[in-house]
Amino acid sequence: MSTGTIISGAGHAGLILWVLLGDLLFSPQPAPEIQVASVSLVSASQFDAMVAAAPARPAPAPEPPVTPDAPAVVAPDPITPELPQPEANPEPVALPEPPPDLPPDVPTSPEPQPVPAPDPVAPLAAEEQPIPVPTTTQRPKPRPIDRVAPTPVDEIADAPEVAETPTPAVSDQPAPEAEVVPEDVPEAAPEEAATQIITEAVETEQDAPQLAMTSSRRPQARPEPVADAPIDDPAPAVAEPTDTQDVEADAIAAALAEAMSETPAEDNGVQDAPTGPPMTGGEIDGLRVAIKTCWNVGALSSSALRTVITVRVDLAESGVPDVGSIRLTGFEGGTDADATKVFQAARSAISRCGRNGFPLPPEKYDTWKDLELVFDPNGMRMR
Amino acid sequence: MTLLRILATAFALGVAALSVQAAPLRIVIDEGVIEPLPFAVPNFIAENGGAEQYARDIARVVAADLAGTGLFREIGSDAFISGVTSFDAPVAYNDWQAINAQALITGAVQASGDQIVVKFRLFDVFSGQQLGEGLQFAGTPSSWRRMAHKVADAAYSRITGEGGYFDSRVVYVAESGPKNQRLKRLAVMDYDGANIQYLTDSSSIVLAPRFSPTGDRILFTSYASGFPRIYVMDVGSLRTRGLDEQPGTMTFAPRFSPDGNTVVFSLEQGGNSDIYTLDIGSGGLRQLTNAPSIETGPSYSPDGSQIVFESDRSGTQQLYIMSAGGGEPRRISNGQGRYGTPVWSPRGDLIAFTKQNEGRFHIGVMRVQGDEERLLTSSFLDEGPTWAPNGRVIMFTRETAGASGQAGLYSVDISGRNLRQITTEGAASDPAWSPLLP
Repeated sequence: MSTGTIISGAGHAGLILWVLLGDLLFSPQPAPEIQVASVSLVSASQFDAMVAAAPARPAPAPEPPVTPDAPAVVAPDPITPELPQPEANPEPVALPEPPPDLPPDVPTSPEPQPVPAPDPVAPLAAEEQPIPVPTTTQRPKPRPIDRVAPTPVDEIADAPEVAETPTPAVSDQPAPEAEVVPEDVPEAAPEEAATQIITEAVETEQDAPQLAMTSSRRPQARPEPVADAPIDDPAPAVAEPTDTQDVEADAIAAALAEAMSETPAEDNGVQDAPTGPPMTGGEIDGLRVAIKTCWNVGALSSSALRTVITVRVDLAESGVPDVGSIRLTGFEGGTDADATKVFQAARSAISRCGRNGFPLPPEKYDTWKDLELVFDPNGMRMR
Repeated sequence: MTLLRILATAFALGVAALSVQAAPLRIVIDEGVIEPLPFAVPNFIAENGGAEQYARDIARVVAADLAGTGLFREIGSDAFISGVTSFDAPVAYNDWQAINAQALITGAVQASGDQIVVKFRLFDVFSGQQLGEGLQFAGTPSSWRRMAHKVADAAYSRITGEGGYFDSRVVYVAESGPKNQRLKRLAVMDYDGANIQYLTDSSSIVLAPRFSPTGDRILFTSYASGFPRIYVMDVGSLRTRGLDEQPGTMTFAPRFSPDGNTVVFSLEQGGNSDIYTLDIGSGGLRQLTNAPSIETGPSYSPDGSQIVFESDRSGTQQLYIMSAGGGEPRRISNGQGRYGTPVWSPRGDLIAFTKQNEGRFHIGVMRVQGDEERLLTSSFLDEGPTWAPNGRVIMFTRETAGASGQAGLYSVDISGRNLRQITTEGAASDPAWSPLLP
């Protein structure tokens, strides 16, 4: 046998042996521990919105977020009745010309009158008065839950930790802040914070500031000594990788939901998709009955009764319609004037029967907060 | 890899949340209620001395006009929680909502010398909005009722979408005396029975008065000559003249054309009655029908292109439509009984008529094609319908049975609802509604 053949055979044999026995003979180097931290993925626009909103949110008592209803809640125009103008042809039987227009009317201050519990959609005063925006306390309180963490986590400390941990992965800043971060991370705070994210709704005042990401709390650099400390302390987490990962997946989803709900829709131009379950037939019928009992078409003309209109209205969480949001979005079968009359009757019906709130399930608010009502009076016209 | 899956899931959630547009919850409301709309009319504000009585009276007339339609129900002042102290004061919508007033009319009156000024505003209480702009009217003190009617017309129109009819008049035959010796004379009144004025004396029998399209003239039939003959009266001066008379003829049942230049009527000659037209300006006479049957009761369509009339050419009284220039008529009535006194609606969509069937009289309406006949009333004797200017209300004569029976004027909505008697001085018959006054 030639030398070359021997060498080739040995090499092939060695290769085969290495393939067969490599796992046993050569244990792989342990991969550097990967720091696992809760991450909330949000879009750039959402993050910008949160950054912009952050300064306005004091930690203990954040301002209520600006909701899509806020513009409609802005104080309505003061009631300044139009100065009556003389009709072009109102003169009965050869009368003298009407007097000149009266000077513009200045709305007088409202008379102090005892008024029952204010209707959130009832403008009363001639002077602009801001209607109080519902506070977060008016929102449904989250159900109390059992915290996974054995001890309550310091709220203020959680927020920066949650916010900071993703940043080291991308930043090149020096480490002083980073040094703090890795020490905290191994304390299982992220896990507990993640748990808290899962169970606590963002709507509570205490939680909102903690869960919101702020630029000021973003760490600036990947910590250099992170490799040592986190390797030891996350061992408990490594020991239960499945639980942690599931918890983190839930945390991500919850954080997304929180971020989306906190972010004003008007900032990113996107409405939240309904998150609650769909309305049942009974619930829809209940709303339909509630509206139709107030929809009085007795005074409408026969041509108006041939007009089908479509109306949009926004509802508050209490089920009370925002009267200012009631708007005609389309009609068919009649003239503009007919549609206007039918719309007036429909608007009155919505306002009247919704004064104390429509009977709607609060847990499905996202589903019914925006209504599109089609009023079809054809079945009630005289034929 | 697990972390990658988590990140991918989160990313997908984020994208989905960002991209999905919320669709509103859509609900169809195809059923409502038909009931009178509750409204409130506080006394108008008297803005100066001498206007107090006008302020109260005008508010009452406005309320009566609206409530009289049957489409509105007035909420009495004793239910008011708060009043209106100033025309420009903000409306306490909560107070009016509490008493379920869906519409609110506020107003004010100024009276000075020979002029009064009336202004008003209309509010949609539950929407918290004013409906339309405020209006004001000025006139002599004697026309305060007309201004009240105009306020009511405006409010009615803004809520219903239909034209009003309150500022109008009705000419009719005022009757007196025993049934077998009735004395009849022409009278005119506001649509609600106020301001009655007599136009003729009772020296001769008068029948079937009809307003001109402008309301300044009245056609009527009088037996002053011993035979029925058509006369035209100027309402302002009460000057009366007979239309050209054809020897040996009798003329009756006259009506103006929509342009007021032509009179259509029945002319009876030799026992036969046909439809004719007379040009008022030129005096030209034109025969439209020529049949050995009785044709009478002609009425123009609002556009003046067609005429509806009654004829017994089929053996019983029925309704026919023909071109305004004459020609072959087509029958439109097909039900049991006899049909007469047809009147075309100002809207052009319906024809009102008198129907006699099985011993009962009815006022009814049908479409111009003759379908969708509906009977609105039923009694011993109902006849002679006339339309309100907006085509939604019909006034007619109802006579009670018996030797002491008396004729009176009644009105009814074209839906058959809201049958009401018009208060007149004594008995009344043969009403004719004027157009809206300018």
